[in-house]
Amino acid sequence: MKTISFVLNGKKTSIEVDDNETLLGALRERLGITSVKEGCGIGECGTCTVLVDDEPHYSCLTLASKANGRDIKTVEYLSSSGVLHPLQEAFIKSGAVQCGYCTPGMLLCAYSLLLKNADPDARDIKEAISGNLCRCTGYIQIEEAIKNAAEICKCDR
Amino acid sequence: MFIGQDITRVDALDKVLGTAAFAHDLKNNTMLFACVVRSSRPHAMIRKIDASAALALDGVVKVLSHKDIPGENLFGAIKKDQPFLAEGRVRYKGEAILVVVGVTEEIARKASGLVEIEYEDLEYISDPFLSMRSAILIHDGGNLLSHRKVIKGDAGKGFESSDVVVENTYSTTWIDHAYMETEAGIGYTDERGHIVVASSTQNIHYKMKEIARLLAIPPEQVRVVQATTGGGFGGKLDVTVEGYIALAVYHTKRPVVMRYTREESFLGHTKRHPLYIEYKTGAGKDGNLTAVEVNIIGDTGPYISYGETVCLRAAVHATGPYEVPNVLVNSRMFYTNNPVSGAMRGFGVPQLALAHESQLDEIAERIGMDPLDIRMKNALKRGSLTATSQVLHHSAGLLETLKGIEPFWRARRKQGPGSGFGLGCMYYGIGNTGISNPSSCYLTFTPEGRVEMHSGVCDIGQGSDTVLLQILCDALGMEEMGIDLVRGDTDTSLDAGSTSASRQTYISGMAVCNAAQKMREYLEGQGYYSGKPLKDICREAAEKGLPVFKGHFDPPTTAPDPETSQGAPYATYAFATHMTEVHVDEVTGVCKAVKVHAAHDVGRAINVSNVKGQIYGGVAMGVGLALMEEFIPGKTESFDNYYLPTSMDMPEVEAIVVEDREPTGPFGAKGVGEPALIPQAAAIVNAIKDATGVRMRQLPCDIERLKLALEKNKIK
Repeated sequence: MKTISFVLNGKKTSIEVDDNETLLGALRERLGITSVKEGCGIGECGTCTVLVDDEPHYSCLTLASKANGRDIKTVEYLSSSGVLHPLQEAFIKSGAVQCGYCTPGMLLCAYSLLLKNADPDARDIKEAISGNLCRCTGYIQIEEAIKNAAEICKCDR
Repeated sequence: MFIGQDITRVDALDKVLGTAAFAHDLKNNTMLFACVVRSSRPHAMIRKIDASAALALDGVVKVLSHKDIPGENLFGAIKKDQPFLAEGRVRYKGEAILVVVGVTEEIARKASGLVEIEYEDLEYISDPFLSMRSAILIHDGGNLLSHRKVIKGDAGKGFESSDVVVENTYSTTWIDHAYMETEAGIGYTDERGHIVVASSTQNIHYKMKEIARLLAIPPEQVRVVQATTGGGFGGKLDVTVEGYIALAVYHTKRPVVMRYTREESFLGHTKRHPLYIEYKTGAGKDGNLTAVEVNIIGDTGPYISYGETVCLRAAVHATGPYEVPNVLVNSRMFYTNNPVSGAMRGFGVPQLALAHESQLDEIAERIGMDPLDIRMKNALKRGSLTATSQVLHHSAGLLETLKGIEPFWRARRKQGPGSGFGLGCMYYGIGNTGISNPSSCYLTFTPEGRVEMHSGVCDIGQGSDTVLLQILCDALGMEEMGIDLVRGDTDTSLDAGSTSASRQTYISGMAVCNAAQKMREYLEGQGYYSGKPLKDICREAAEKGLPVFKGHFDPPTTAPDPETSQGAPYATYAFATHMTEVHVDEVTGVCKAVKVHAAHDVGRAINVSNVKGQIYGGVAMGVGLALMEEFIPGKTESFDNYYLPTSMDMPEVEAIVVEDREPTGPFGAKGVGEPALIPQAAAIVNAIKDATGVRMRQLPCDIERLKLALEKNKIK
């Protein structure tokens, strides 16, 4: 066991973790962040995506100890100011949500994309979510939502 | 008006916030974890089970076998033939043998690895052709599960009068549902002593009854709740974790949680049936179809699940959506020691679409006719007779979907070598085949003056909760959505039947309309429509007890004739046409679906955004079926070797919604869930032929298979 400290959704957090514990396990089991989903456990599906220093990571393949000193964001961060992020609004409006199991991971990948690229084209969006599987939507309304949110975020700047 | 509007889905907010509670999210630290020990052999007698090492492990609470089942150790959606836990014999790799319950997941999984099972291997029946000839019987009654025929007219005479006859064989493989959320659930005993199970499921009332039989307790003492469900596609229709959770709760008297790993999910649940299809089509020089003869051989695995359903549905849809005067179909399902094949989006029809659409293109090529024209010429329309001689009295919009595609088809231009275009059409009977499949619901009020809808419909992500609320609002003539939804709980709802067969909008939608009609009459009497506030009506009514309005609908069908399957197995059909542009790289064998136009006659789109979502998702699953997905028993374990389409594999999709209203449906609606997938693989295969000259008759057309076919074609 070791103690790790990191920023979780903007708040300083310290927890004890096992040496072989995954970040997915620590977030779900120790911190009760159940928005982070396990879909495959081997880094193939992306439902467990979290942002580490604003970059998407598969938390099922990330050791919890690697979070030490880092900034970790889960989907809760997007609405932490009390209002929905434009991406969340756009996902709702565009019909980007069906079963919803991939949704948190998709939102985080999209958020990371928009931080780096305020004006993504269709190809950029497809690439940004290419590591996240969705079995329901065919990705199209997710891509539309990200495009629409990018427009709104641009106007807000 | 709420019908036809893109009303925001009622579940979307919780899902974007990350607060929607899927089954595994309901877990807490007081719960025991249960996991299943599965057979490592496809066919064997169990000689000895030694669980002593598992039981000796600190933290292991119970190891349960078939001997611990107080009730009947058999389940099945159609017939009860599959053991919850194997008794002496296993019939496929992955069959459940024991349930290990531990204080944590880690301990339970570790203990399950310590169980030693001694097997005596039996001959393994690896395909249906072996099965039909083998002396080894998987069940005492023989290896043939089901044989269904469709006989209309005289196929032999039809072929004699044909100018052109095309005969080919097609085959498809096992497909996994691959919902993003694996099977999961929790269970506990409530203060009444009832067993409660909350799980990821497509049908709560069915599972309630199975648990009751398993534990030999009355169904009234079982409560099944649908947790937020991360996709189903047919794979969560059969009992998955529910029985094991209930059994573990029964024996430990403690709350229990289960969740399959992805590997376990692949191993444990049903698959799409692999079908071998011998298909003979006859036509006149003018393109009119004269006869169709089809021989379908299916691999159903060792237990029935939905095997009989798929056998019959594949047979009655075998001609595709065309008028064929002479039809002879033989559809047979054989037991094997492969994974259990069951329900998956389309129940055998996507496999048949591959065959009938390929055949039609070959006929068109032989007589020099355009593929769109031959489809228009033969399309079922109002007044047509289907292959089961059912007269389509209304809502038969195949021609409208073809006309919707026509401008794009006529304007198509190949983008250099490797570019090609293909068409795929389909029709699909909404609801179960030729049997009663009712839905019920009830409506009441809250004392505060809101309408309350009690729904047993499982929304598995397709959006039925929202659609049913839209239907109810319009049926009541409400101006705002003042409805509370009480859903997905056997304690508070009536049986709505399964979320399958594209039936919930149509059948449960009509049940809602039926209840709404009664509530409307009551509200009329109370003066609601002349301006009396609902609040006042409810306050006054609450003193006497709030009224309850039950709704019910069972689509009018007739049982198929046992010899010929003639009859009206469905009350209504959906129709669709997909056009697909592909690009094939002849050097690598990579086929990319570039653009899809998908036109669907849905009767009436209650929620256009939802309909489009179904179409896009269906196209994605069709791309997987055509180009990359293949479950290989004994080899496929995870997403490492089972490939799903990613965003990079998706074509651009233009959805065209056709609304030929169905008078027996809610505001004219039919269904779209399965239709969205059905013609897609066929359209891709036809486009590959157009692009390369190579006709692919086996799915998937993955890189290896396509490259090999292209090389063979060069040598020719």
